[in-house]
Amino acid sequence: MKATIGWFVFLAVAVGMLLVGTPNERELSTASQAAQRKPSGYPQLISVEQLPATNGEMCSWEPASASTRAKIVLQERFAPQTETPGQKESSSIPVDRAPVRVIRDNYPTYSAVAVDTKWDEVFLQDENLTGFNVFNRLDNTPPTATMTEPKRKVSGSKTKMDFNCGLYVDPNSGDVYSVNNDFGDTMVVFPHAANGDVAPMRELHTPHRAYGIAVDEEAQELFLTVQHPPAAVVWRKMAQKDESPVRILEGRHTGLSDPHGITLDTKNQWLFVSNHGSVSYSKDGKYFSQNLPARPSDGVQQTAQTAALNWVVPNTLWFLGMAGGSGKFEPPSITAYPLKASGDTPPLRVIAGSKTQLNWPASLAMDSELGELYVANDMGDSILVFSAGADGNVEPKRVIKGPKSGVRTPIGVSIDLKNRELWVSNMGNHTATVYSLSANGDAAPLRTIRSAPQGTKARMIGNPGAVSYDSKREEILVPN
Amino acid sequence: MHAIEYDELHDELIVSNPFAQAILTFRGDANGEEPPIRVIQGPSTMLDAPDRFAVDPVHNEIFVPQESEILVLPRQANGDATPIRRLHGQWRTGYIAVDPVHNIIVATGFANKDPKADPALLIFNRTDNGEVKPRAVIAGPHTGIQSLHQLQLYPDRGWIVASQFLFGDEQKPGTYFVGIWSINDAGDIPPRWKLGGPKTTLKRVRGVVVNPKYKEIIIADMVLNAALTYYFPEIF
Repeated sequence: MKATIGWFVFLAVAVGMLLVGTPNERELSTASQAAQRKPSGYPQLISVEQLPATNGEMCSWEPASASTRAKIVLQERFAPQTETPGQKESSSIPVDRAPVRVIRDNYPTYSAVAVDTKWDEVFLQDENLTGFNVFNRLDNTPPTATMTEPKRKVSGSKTKMDFNCGLYVDPNSGDVYSVNNDFGDTMVVFPHAANGDVAPMRELHTPHRAYGIAVDEEAQELFLTVQHPPAAVVWRKMAQKDESPVRILEGRHTGLSDPHGITLDTKNQWLFVSNHGSVSYSKDGKYFSQNLPARPSDGVQQTAQTAALNWVVPNTLWFLGMAGGSGKFEPPSITAYPLKASGDTPPLRVIAGSKTQLNWPASLAMDSELGELYVANDMGDSILVFSAGADGNVEPKRVIKGPKSGVRTPIGVSIDLKNRELWVSNMGNHTATVYSLSANGDAAPLRTIRSAPQGTKARMIGNPGAVSYDSKREEILVPN
Repeated sequence: MHAIEYDELHDELIVSNPFAQAILTFRGDANGEEPPIRVIQGPSTMLDAPDRFAVDPVHNEIFVPQESEILVLPRQANGDATPIRRLHGQWRTGYIAVDPVHNIIVATGFANKDPKADPALLIFNRTDNGEVKPRAVIAGPHTGIQSLHQLQLYPDRGWIVASQFLFGDEQKPGTYFVGIWSINDAGDIPPRWKLGGPKTTLKRVRGVVVNPKYKEIIIADMVLNAALTYYFPEIF
């Protein structure tokens, strides 16, 4: 049967050749081979025909669905040969290419809030895009709106803001004070109407890791917390450049441990500081005080001469020379001191313990009329309210927390005594929320200023100092 | 926090807490408010303000640079552990990385204590102890090194991958990049490759890590507050 089929194929090819003309030797050979081929049950090479030589340049083939990575691979495969790295010692191979993926939050994340009741405005410190946004105090983003645009925005390299944390607005002049935490080592001050990429009108050189800010308007003094070595440093309110502080609260007995927020009760002459808990001390407890210029003793009026004393801020960026073995993990706390406390002064009161619910307490605000202390409780997703005289392991008087409240990773709080409102800046959801000062529980905010589409969670990448890669889970690890 | 490492051999996360003078180890999939499984802390550790470190999961060691010394602590230690080695000398270090295959450690810093010394990459033997000098120094104007930060070693090909930015001038071309050197380099040698430039969109390169499986370099940028991934097959 198979032989019969082969015979018929031969005849068909022969007839075809007679009809189309004289076959050439190659065609005859091909036909002969085809006639003699038998089915094998496997693929068979039937013929090979060489492609004609190209007569010029051709476009490189690129699949329509090629990803960016595939395109780069193809480009590199067909790229002209470059020199082998290292053969020439005089130059590097520059590689200027776009990232294939970027993890970044394109919206503001708010690390602090300050209310200005004179101009009826609210200032929100944007730690993500580095700057601060200004809104009307009564702005309230409708649920259907994408976001509320600020009426002013101060941001850019001229501002010298860098990992901006603390924020204060002068109730009389409207000047805006912004504290840099990492690398900047400055506090910068802007006029109230500042807008865009503008230079500050005043700068103060601060220790590294300055965080929270409070101002005693009556005494014209400016207070900053310094995370590590732990301290609360006090200057003249109008101090600038390298002017030395008037007081420094630091030492093993102060109870300061990675201090963050700071607020004042000028009525009772108290100073409050929130502490995260990680601490170690310098050998004699006097790190920042070690080279303070001599000043008149307390009670002597500051003069222009004494006010202008220069201070060389001790370096704390690298090796610190801390006392070996002094490191410890204290519980989070609120420590209270006399307003004029200086040196290694122990706290008058310490709010700490499991009942307090404190968990990375950040910004503080004081209602001096009612004697209540408000705490932005970062990792507790809550706002805690304590009596100003609270001491020990005590429960807060009120707690604002829950899904309706909109409180999510709150870092900043500010009190508007004129309108009896509490402002909260939520780092976790791009919002600032407003409550009655007496709000409690899962209380819905009176107003919300939202700077991202509804429901947008913040990436929470802030000042990333390093990166790592979990190869098992294929996850990128970013410490903040 | 300026340092973090994932130990893929033991599936553990390691971070440092400089304020509390501690090195913390967590489970690899730790989440939420979960305590560390080990804490190295105490007077015997000699830890001052451990802001950076490197983990060698093969030899079970943790390297902690502290300016003119490098402490070597047991990786599995918990509590007040004594260093098993201590390198010290007339140099200064910042960031550090370890290569357990070629048995070297590489640190950013300065080759001597002269305030005007060129910033450098210092290469030591992994098992060095006592007063030592680097076995090699990469420094000089051709290196482009001004202020290096996180670095990583890729032992498979012997590369040093280092991030650089110069605070204050970070947006000037050439001052921020990721540079790749060989562990066999020494002297005033430019990096083999320099990843940087306008297309990268980088502003302040603070952290770097390699992902060999996908031939990628991942960078943390502290102005953009972002993690950026670059396809970089050249070094893999």
